[in-house]
Amino acid sequence: MNQTTDDTLDTAATTARPVSRLLARLPRVWRSPLAAVGALLVLGWLIVVIAAPLLAPHDPLAQDLPPLAPPGAGHWFGTDELGRDVFSRVLYGARVSIPLALLLVVLSLLIGGTLGACAGFFGRWVDEIVMRIADLVFAFPTVILAMVVVAALGASLQNAVLAVLIVSWPSYARVTRGLVLGIRNREFVLSGRLLGFSAFRSLRVDVLPNLLGPILVLATLDIGTAMLLLSGLSFLGLGAKPPTPEWGAMVADGTQQFDSWWIGVFPGLAILTVVLAFNFLGDALRDALDPRTARSIGDGRAHAGHVEGERAA
Amino acid sequence: MSRRWVPSSGAGGRLRPSARGHHPLARFLARRAATAVLLALGVTLVTFALTNLVPGDPAAANLGQRAIGDPAIVAQFRHQYGLDKPLPAQYLTYLGNLLHGDLGESQQSHQPVLDDLDAVVPATLELAGAAIVPSLLIGVAFGVIAALRRNRFTDQVLRLFSLLGVSVPTFWLALLAYYLFFYRLGWAPGSGRISPDLTAPRHITGLYTVDAALTGQWPVFWSAVTHLILPALVLTAYTVGLLTRFTRSAVLEVLDQDFVRAARAKGLPSRTVLFQYVLRAASVPIITVAGLAFGNLLSGTVLVESIFAWPGLGAYAYRSATTLDLPAVMGVGLVVGLVYVTVNLIVDVLYGVIDPRVRAQ
Amino acid sequence: MLTPRTGSRPAILPFVAATALALSACSAGTSATGSSAGGAKTLVVDTSFDLKTADPGREFEPTGQIVDKALYETLLTFAGSDVTKPVAGLASSYTESADGKTLTLHLRTGAKFSDGSAVTADDVVFSLNRVIALKGNPSFLLDGVTVTKTDASTITLVSKQANPALPFILPNPALGIVNSKVLQAHGGAASASDSAETYLNTTSAGSGPYVLTSFNTNTQVVLTKNPDYNGPETPAYSKIVIRNVQAPTQKLNVQRGDSQIALDLSSDQVKGIGGGLQVLSGASSDVIFLLLNQNSAVSGATSNANFVKAVREGIDYKSLLSLAGSGSVQPAGVIPSSFLGALPASQATSYDLAGAKAALAASGVTNPSVTLGYASDLTVDGLSLQLLAERVQAQLKEVGITVTLAPAPTTTELDNYRNGKEQLGLWYWGPDYPDPSDYLAFLPGNLVGLRAGWKAGADSQLTAAGDEAATTIGDSAREHLYQQIQTRMNQVGPFIPLIQPSRNTVAAASVTGIAYNPVWTIDVAALGSK
Repeated sequence: MNQTTDDTLDTAATTARPVSRLLARLPRVWRSPLAAVGALLVLGWLIVVIAAPLLAPHDPLAQDLPPLAPPGAGHWFGTDELGRDVFSRVLYGARVSIPLALLLVVLSLLIGGTLGACAGFFGRWVDEIVMRIADLVFAFPTVILAMVVVAALGASLQNAVLAVLIVSWPSYARVTRGLVLGIRNREFVLSGRLLGFSAFRSLRVDVLPNLLGPILVLATLDIGTAMLLLSGLSFLGLGAKPPTPEWGAMVADGTQQFDSWWIGVFPGLAILTVVLAFNFLGDALRDALDPRTARSIGDGRAHAGHVEGERAA
Repeated sequence: MSRRWVPSSGAGGRLRPSARGHHPLARFLARRAATAVLLALGVTLVTFALTNLVPGDPAAANLGQRAIGDPAIVAQFRHQYGLDKPLPAQYLTYLGNLLHGDLGESQQSHQPVLDDLDAVVPATLELAGAAIVPSLLIGVAFGVIAALRRNRFTDQVLRLFSLLGVSVPTFWLALLAYYLFFYRLGWAPGSGRISPDLTAPRHITGLYTVDAALTGQWPVFWSAVTHLILPALVLTAYTVGLLTRFTRSAVLEVLDQDFVRAARAKGLPSRTVLFQYVLRAASVPIITVAGLAFGNLLSGTVLVESIFAWPGLGAYAYRSATTLDLPAVMGVGLVVGLVYVTVNLIVDVLYGVIDPRVRAQ
Repeated sequence: MLTPRTGSRPAILPFVAATALALSACSAGTSATGSSAGGAKTLVVDTSFDLKTADPGREFEPTGQIVDKALYETLLTFAGSDVTKPVAGLASSYTESADGKTLTLHLRTGAKFSDGSAVTADDVVFSLNRVIALKGNPSFLLDGVTVTKTDASTITLVSKQANPALPFILPNPALGIVNSKVLQAHGGAASASDSAETYLNTTSAGSGPYVLTSFNTNTQVVLTKNPDYNGPETPAYSKIVIRNVQAPTQKLNVQRGDSQIALDLSSDQVKGIGGGLQVLSGASSDVIFLLLNQNSAVSGATSNANFVKAVREGIDYKSLLSLAGSGSVQPAGVIPSSFLGALPASQATSYDLAGAKAALAASGVTNPSVTLGYASDLTVDGLSLQLLAERVQAQLKEVGITVTLAPAPTTTELDNYRNGKEQLGLWYWGPDYPDPSDYLAFLPGNLVGLRAGWKAGADSQLTAAGDEAATTIGDSAREHLYQQIQTRMNQVGPFIPLIQPSRNTVAAASVTGIAYNPVWTIDVAALGSK
């Protein structure tokens, strides 16, 4: 509460280097236990992504262990119906799921963010077109779209990423648009234009740096969503091609063998911890932002953007 | 310097005084209705285009291994479903039929798509309704408590739980819940909407609980309620997490504002401040996210429905898409699009009702 | 991103759940038995639906067969699981002409439809002509057959060519006899303008032991006893509910007593099922096979005869059998072990890694790398094709062949398969009727042969043998011919039969009379109750 009385809208907006302002706040952030835990978990999983071949006791594709063996010595998470070690597959699964989720977020951000920034900055018909297309995509049932994309292009993780990308960019567009609407009428932006900056230069020099912080936070919060969507698609059989160890597909395998609970439970736990970690981190980063932009991002992501983006104007 | 770039009023001219002062609500609704129609058209066009892009032949998907080898049978099938006409003609025929309320016949169920939807939409509606009510009650309550106890232990705990809520994969949770509560503990009944030895109630609304209550069939009512509990709980889990988070930040934002401090300074009791000032102001964003969460529930339950054998819209959408049942796919697309538009509309109207500033424009 | 539709609140679950579920515990208990008191018994059967319609003239799906077997009677039928000998149905006896082209059937007297009216020869002629005229899924069953009424109690079926398989085709529920008067009153006709399907999907018009009470292709089908039935079967259950449930949930349901029969469990899933349930396992008549495309434009590797030999000998069949579980068998040829004309098990191909490697070397294929296409969401008798494909991929790697898996949803992959575009394909053939002549489709230039790029004339010896076998009468002669055909196919053909999965039916201890039949899976009217 004390911070907010000091942080007026103008102070936040007129700082010359908003990104370093974000960084200066960080030390306070790490004091929150949730943030620290989140960061540690993310770090842990990133290590797994890099070092999986060193950490995994077995080849994730080798089918030489006794099938459907419960967790025990030599196979800590048990084995699946083809005799593969679940623990090794979970570790290797990180190499599949996490980088793809990150890729998805980066791409959505680039595409959605650019479109949204243009919509917010240039307004009028650019705004109309982008927002109407976004509306159309929002109205589209994700499952159908994903299945059609996959059926048309073939089931693979890349195509699942494409399908999710098509349905996710509108959220970024909406939020970016809202943020830009909030920024572009500020004095420093106006003064830049009056000094002779072209529209693009103004966008690049004045608006974008102020977007980076909130967008970074939004992206971090969204990695979890990306991960859940991708694993959901793989669960439906529309993502990873076998025998690739992907967590969602492994949980789907687990549904075929209810009694061998370890086949589905451990990959699901893996998804949970990764998503949780990124959510912790994202929350902590968001707390570090000034309250106004934090509100623009909101908790409901896309859906906050629908309202917040317009109220920010 | 481009003349085009002028600081506009943004957001479609809200700040300009309204030139047309009469019947703003009617105009608003008319404009939204027009948008809805355009959106529906857009959805059908996109669905049609995409499903025809898929390199699969509906005839191959629907005819048996022998039948597909007989050209006469294949021709008959294609003729029956209008697949022998050129694509634009097929689309126009579809639109024409749509205007008469005919959504075509499902290639899988051999029934009108409208009848199919009439059966599956209420099933998902019932599930979504059973999930949204407790979610709202619990989520809002928890969010308010967390906001009031900001940064204290209760807040941290509630934030942790809500984060857990939005982080767990639904399909995994549904699996665990079914295995644990049905199989291991036997507390919850099995799959489906009611027990197999009971007959579904007469179709009035399509919601088994409501229909059974209206016709006085109490055993059926009870069976429907108990079958709802587990899948609704699984769906609630996520929605509660979402609502808690959102309510918390909405309430925090309001708590910081001057009018709240003024109310407290006036000496009003905390309960009055809470309910008449804080919640009233925070209700707009809360309603927004609640509406959108409900819309999501309606259109995104395929994972839960497949595990609980719940014959709802999600399961229908999955089956239609994987079997290339084109009329059914179009039907689902339309329904989901309509849901989205309706939810947005209701939210916007509520927004206008609650926030006088919007109405004044 | 759209808000994800996932999540949980584990902390809240115990509080809310415990109260809610405690309340439901009472009702869960009463519904667990699945049957009501006072002699009126309900049977709940769980199966994974493949169901489109209840109209016998149009249906040809496994679940449709279960339903229509109970609703309609056919001229001839099979007793229990034995499909080697057709027995009396609506026809009490039949005679085949010497040239195999004419089949004369004598109708049983006194048979009645569910509305009380008598079953006449006119109804028979109408029903069979309707199947032919509708040009739906099952019309091929009576290809080239003309149906005539000889007199009030005799029907004559004349085929264009010798048709020794016809008595084995007639028991198919798709050829069930419908009440022509009722049907015609509701838009039915023995022509393409028939519109009685909607009616038949709500009310049945047959003479079978059950009538249709409710029908939904997504959720469940409910059958109730036909009070006017006077046929040979004695149905024990007054109400039968057939529910659409996925295999893993079937297992949970039957174990908890929520259902009495589960039809689609895999061998892994029935392992260790106890609790007083009966498990009936046997080899199914579905044959899962690999095909290698003989079209050199599709693949230079698979069209090479030595390459085919390398694959044939490079597969560890026993390892596949252990994957499929006990009860599954390796078919020696494309005809399943339970049918007339099947090759004896001693002639099944054995695993020979050294031979396979030698054949691969002899083939001269420089880059032995192929794509294996299959339907990712298909399970045959509970066995997932995906698992089989992964196992095959691993095995062929040992031989030195690199296999890339290319799964796709069934609807897309079916296209590739039927157009002969797959290099290596993993599919199965479920018999349309329990007679070896169904498998002539595998010969060069025929239905399945073409899918493997095996064009007509590719092997004149086989084509001649096929033509002869199709028109020969007499079981032993036919058996000999079909065995010769399969032996030759194993030498020069592009098909490698892999496995007949085991078919498992799990039932509550109180259910008796369960028998698996390859045509209709299970005859619910034959089930009894202890």
